[in-house]
Amino acid sequence: MRLKTGSQAGIYLLSCNEEKHGSITMAACYAWFLVLGSVFLCNLMKTLLPSISSFLSRMVQKDAEQENEMRTEIQAMKKEQSSISMMDEFARYARLERKINKMTDKLKTNVKSRSAQQAKMKWIVNIVFYILQAVLMISLIWKYYSDPVTVVPSKWIAPVERLVAFPTGVAGGVGITCWLVVCNKVVTLGLHAFS
Amino acid sequence: MEHAEAIADDEKTTTTTVVAAGSSLSAAQRRAEIRRRKLLMNSEDRMNRIVGFAKNEADNNGGFTRRPTEPRFHLDLDRPESWSSSQPSPRPSPRSRGATPERRDSPLPEEAAPVDGHLRGVRQRPKPDMSVGDNASGLHQYLSRFDDAIKLRGQLANEKPVQNGEADGEEFDPFTVFRLVCSVLLAVFVRVFVCKYLSIFAPFLTLELAFMGLSKYFPKVEKKAQTTVLTAALLLSGIPSEVINRSMDTYRRMGDVFADLCAYFFTFVISHQFLLLIGSEAGEPTGEASPAVTG
Repeated sequence: MRLKTGSQAGIYLLSCNEEKHGSITMAACYAWFLVLGSVFLCNLMKTLLPSISSFLSRMVQKDAEQENEMRTEIQAMKKEQSSISMMDEFARYARLERKINKMTDKLKTNVKSRSAQQAKMKWIVNIVFYILQAVLMISLIWKYYSDPVTVVPSKWIAPVERLVAFPTGVAGGVGITCWLVVCNKVVTLGLHAFS
Repeated sequence: MEHAEAIADDEKTTTTTVVAAGSSLSAAQRRAEIRRRKLLMNSEDRMNRIVGFAKNEADNNGGFTRRPTEPRFHLDLDRPESWSSSQPSPRPSPRSRGATPERRDSPLPEEAAPVDGHLRGVRQRPKPDMSVGDNASGLHQYLSRFDDAIKLRGQLANEKPVQNGEADGEEFDPFTVFRLVCSVLLAVFVRVFVCKYLSIFAPFLTLELAFMGLSKYFPKVEKKAQTTVLTAALLLSGIPSEVINRSMDTYRRMGDVFADLCAYFFTFVISHQFLLLIGSEAGEPTGEASPAVTG
């Protein structure tokens, strides 16, 4: 559309600026909050990872009851064995000893496999979490690569306005990378203080 | 040969003694007695052989594993003495032949081929005269570092579960809390009153300078030096522990300043957004962004 008069251009520019400013304000309103919320969520999940992995491993493994049964059985057999005199009833004593050893070996094998499974689950959960975190961070950076999360007068953040605005290049803007670093540090400090 | 003859003589003596003394014993009992006495008599000899063999093996293994980078010709000095004995050990010789880089690079490679230990001993004797003192000190140094490495490995293994329990090993001592609180308060103050007149980082730098002076008035919390893989590697590479401690201390201080800066900037932005939201300064950003409107 060709603008004929200067006043029309001024009106057009004014309307464009208003819309643009409106959209920038809207974007800036929630961008910093969105990044902050994402970082907070990631750090919170990171602190909860051990509980999540143990919960998932408990759900997947159903041998815990069997192990408890074996433990109680071994304890009962040991109690019975202690009541038997080895000199008087050696055969029974030896039979019990063999049973106890067999049950103990079986329990050890079960415990080993359960521990290995737990470690594997923990490893999987960690890997999945870090992948999701990386995807989230990359998508945030991709989204706000050229838009600042917030804009302040550039003289306020002199002389490092370029560094703060990286990679947007907007004078006075706060770039996604700077805001991510700041939020990460603050959220870590906060969570550590409250944990 | 002589040793075998000595064993045979011992057996004859034992048999004669048992036959003479145990004429009332049955044949089986006599044989058992002979075996028992033979075992008892040869026990010392057997032990010497075992210990002597184990010692030789340990020396050779130690020389092979503990000193991978050390020059090995000082080990070979021991070998002619053992090779000249009646029991040549086949195990050390392959290692001694093939594994020594000095011998490989030596100007006389053909002389490494013959097995005769005397020649080898003669060939190598001039070398230890020059460098046996250096080798001994180098060996001691290497062994001491090996011990340090083992100790550090133990410390790392002990500290690993402790570090997993702590979040990045950060500790909130009173001065750290004071710094963070002051940074937050200053950020709010700067946003409300100061930012219109100068950069927001100027008050922050002033605050950090003030912290440097105030730090001596706070109780110093002795932070336990954590042995990490990095510090262990630096220690083993020969860097003095004082240098490492000072560097870690400087790094920790920089981390504190960075934490203060992050808290300060975060609070500043949040307070700015809050003020924008409540509309107390809605006009300022539009004034900055609308030169095109006025233009």
